[in-house]
Amino acid sequence: MTVNRREFIKAMALNSAALAAATLFPGITFGAFQGEETAAGSIEWKKTPCRFCGTGCGLLVGVSGDRAVAVKGDPACSVNKGLCCVKGYHSVQILYGKDRFTQALIRKNGKLAPAPIQEALDLVAAKLKESIAAKGKDSVAIYGSGQWSIADGYTASKLFKGCIGTNNVEANARLCMASAVTGFMTSFGLDEPMGCYDDIDYADVYVTWGNNMAEMHPVLFSRMIANRKSRTHVKIIDFATRTTRSSQAADKSILFKPQTDLAVANAICYELIHNDRVNWDFVRKHVSFHKGKTNIGYGTEDHFAFTDKEESSDFEEYKRFLGDYTPEKVEKTSGVPAKDIRYLAALYGDPGSKVVSFWCMGMNQHTRGTWINNLVYNIHLLTGKIATPGNSPFSLTGQPSACGTVREVGTLTHALPHGVVMNEEDRKMAAEIWNVPVANIDPKPTYHTVEMFRALDRGDIRFMWIQVTNPMVTMPNLTRYRNGALKDDRFVVVSEIYPTPTSDVADVVLPSALWIEREGFFGNSERRTQHNERIVPPPGEAMCNTWQLIEVARRLGYEKQFPWPREKYIEEIWNEYTRFHDSPKHRMAPYAVLKERPGVQWPFVDGKETKWRYNPKYDPAAKGEDFHFYGKPDNRAWIWIRPYEPAAEAPDSEYPFWLNTGRVLEHWHTGSMTRRVPILHKAMPESYVEIHPEDAADLGIVHGGNVKISSRRGAIIMKASLEGRGNPPRGMVFVPFFDEKYLINEVTLDAFCPISKQPDYKKCAVKVERA
Amino acid sequence: MDPSKKPLGKIFPFFAGICLLLLPLLVYSALSSPAEERHGTLPAQNMTFDHNGAALFASYAQAAEAYLNAASPARTLPEYYARRQYGGAPPFIAHKAMDEPSEAVTCLACHEKGGWTAELKRHTPLTPHPEKSACRQCHVPQTEAPLFVENLWLSVSPPKLGRAYLPGSPPPIVHSLQMRENCIACHVGPAAVEGIRVTHAARGNCRQCHVPDLFQGLYERTLAK
Repeated sequence: MTVNRREFIKAMALNSAALAAATLFPGITFGAFQGEETAAGSIEWKKTPCRFCGTGCGLLVGVSGDRAVAVKGDPACSVNKGLCCVKGYHSVQILYGKDRFTQALIRKNGKLAPAPIQEALDLVAAKLKESIAAKGKDSVAIYGSGQWSIADGYTASKLFKGCIGTNNVEANARLCMASAVTGFMTSFGLDEPMGCYDDIDYADVYVTWGNNMAEMHPVLFSRMIANRKSRTHVKIIDFATRTTRSSQAADKSILFKPQTDLAVANAICYELIHNDRVNWDFVRKHVSFHKGKTNIGYGTEDHFAFTDKEESSDFEEYKRFLGDYTPEKVEKTSGVPAKDIRYLAALYGDPGSKVVSFWCMGMNQHTRGTWINNLVYNIHLLTGKIATPGNSPFSLTGQPSACGTVREVGTLTHALPHGVVMNEEDRKMAAEIWNVPVANIDPKPTYHTVEMFRALDRGDIRFMWIQVTNPMVTMPNLTRYRNGALKDDRFVVVSEIYPTPTSDVADVVLPSALWIEREGFFGNSERRTQHNERIVPPPGEAMCNTWQLIEVARRLGYEKQFPWPREKYIEEIWNEYTRFHDSPKHRMAPYAVLKERPGVQWPFVDGKETKWRYNPKYDPAAKGEDFHFYGKPDNRAWIWIRPYEPAAEAPDSEYPFWLNTGRVLEHWHTGSMTRRVPILHKAMPESYVEIHPEDAADLGIVHGGNVKISSRRGAIIMKASLEGRGNPPRGMVFVPFFDEKYLINEVTLDAFCPISKQPDYKKCAVKVERA
Repeated sequence: MDPSKKPLGKIFPFFAGICLLLLPLLVYSALSSPAEERHGTLPAQNMTFDHNGAALFASYAQAAEAYLNAASPARTLPEYYARRQYGGAPPFIAHKAMDEPSEAVTCLACHEKGGWTAELKRHTPLTPHPEKSACRQCHVPQTEAPLFVENLWLSVSPPKLGRAYLPGSPPPIVHSLQMRENCIACHVGPAAVEGIRVTHAARGNCRQCHVPDLFQGLYERTLAK
């Protein structure tokens, strides 16, 4: 292969600093960089949680002067014990992309033009007031994410729910974690896992349910394979719809047809009962049986409404229901051989073996997301494999503070920092802590995320403030929502760090301080709260998202509710927020403790963290001798009768392929940060469509050739990848969504789980052609 | 990346200065070498690296801890390169070999699992591709015969070490991965070449931190409005 010399010189220059160092001192490694520390003053190491996924690795950021110059894993942090992934090691480079927003922008004559930030904040406050006066309080909305610091989300909720009085508060976590939340609430009555990452070190079997952990949660995956190496009987079973890097590492890879995980989970329970592998002692003491509505719809139409109706049931009815889910019957639905279903059931059913089930988007982004969460809990409840070290149904998160900010603070339309808006006691508690009249808090939820963007399109919402997320890449059926945001009479404020397709539709862009440029807290997947101080200064006029909200709140006349001084507002917010969780079920660590440690797991009671909930040996809120599921009024965990129902849209003769979407190791979420990190971009510069080689051959598609993917909603053209990173089965294509140049969400469907309202990004029908 | 834009450049102006002074040398070395292999997007070798990943996990699971952590200075980088005509070329057979082994098993007896060889007084290097069994298709023994005609062949310098993007950060993978996707074969254990042996062999998910560095250019928004 040839290359012209100019290109080559350019390529050489890209690696200049490190390369020059290597040339100067042959054989140099990073040891030589450490030599430089003494020349320029030493590097100081400061702790922070990683900015990216929900694993919550502890990092030590090396600081020299006012620049972050290096990263190492924090050996004191039990999450990662000193190890990071490639994104974590290069995370500080996200601060220094050339196109950082350093000043506010206001759209004038169709163009975004620089403006002083105080002027932009005046305009935001004026537009908020104007919209509330003209169209009512429910015409304004705020949309955040699990990338919000806890202080950001808390301030947003207090301003919008407590002061303005609208429940138009939502977050990207609705697209990401909502089914996990409703799964926990329906099965246990309280959100978030009972176990923790230490379960990995005790388990004998890990089953990953539609979860490519080798790429998406690599540090936890490394812990799994290290365990398998030292304890050689340990097994990894990858249960998925496509072959991935996790399948390569697994002892067994089992593929199922999209949506049929529902049927397989029921078939596993059928087998457990059929072979008398039920832990009767546990079930009699700690489990009750329940059923809900069936044939519950998909939410693709505007104003779709659904409320589940719980009815109590019993073991005999549950057993009869499972009669439809024999391994032989389910083999026909799922494509999983009956012997593999029996194998899974045998692993779960072995009384001598401890099992962890891991899942993330595969189960949550699912039109029956709540149900599949319930069904996997059913397996762990029938066998009693729960809430003890190594026995753990574990719902992972994708964003650094999906748990901390969205689930614990309650930045969703129905939620409050403690409880829900529908509950009068919860409203009273919030009103008292927030120092607002209780009548301010509206008892009726408004819009979940998809419906919120539909309301923006319809004009029911006129003002939307978007912080720390990129919905103009991530919304399913994207074209409709982008056109909606661009309509006249819609005012969109975007708090961002870099230009994105979302800032492209903004009327005002507020430059945000990023991650370690401001003090904050994240909460990871295992109930761990993690604090970081302000380690480096933000560039230009960039401002902390919390402070942006406080500035606007004060302009709206809420000085009394937002009195905190700028030197210590984060600490004061923490002290106020934690009043909501002041019980043994959820007590949070004090500010001083969080500052000292690389994360603290709640409930934090009498100076002790809780690793396993619902187990009196570990959990200060649990009573009795073995287990206590105190989240439900009957003090039991609930087994749900949930059937298999088909996907909202399945392949047909016109659109014969499944479309599945997801992430890759190198890029996080929409890539707006990771694509600006040279090593990550150079490893994975653009998105692609994975297609099975035989499908490709039938369609005349070659590796690297252009492919057109079209659905009933939209079409894109991108390059094909054959036998690459992942390999879909025949009849499926897979597209990573990080690349704003190939907006795959213009093709996806906005169907969602009627209970959680979380869209299904993993299943819709498309046509695939050579382009 | 421009040296002055790197964080290090600002912190260590002295060092950046040296980098700049050195730039002509770099350009010279670039110009004086034949073209280095460069790829567009979705290169085949990256694909192989991803597609054959199971071998990597298996090597890690099967290698004994003692092996992973063992080290020996016997093999050096200059010697390693001296046995190859260019980076990625199949090395010649550097020891006395049987005339025509009919079965790969003859080579793989030593080169699949490794181990100490008393005859050569060193640890046997491992092949990264034991599934390929026609060894002599690519690896040939050498005789002492003088050259027929002198050859004016030149190639690019092998990849430099120390290409981490940040102090202490994991360096990217600088070589082609085709038939060399099993990191553990070459970068771990007593037979690994001194200088490219990893310091943390207990970690088994190499690709979690080390990613290919094969593409040109930085990210630029092409759709900005």
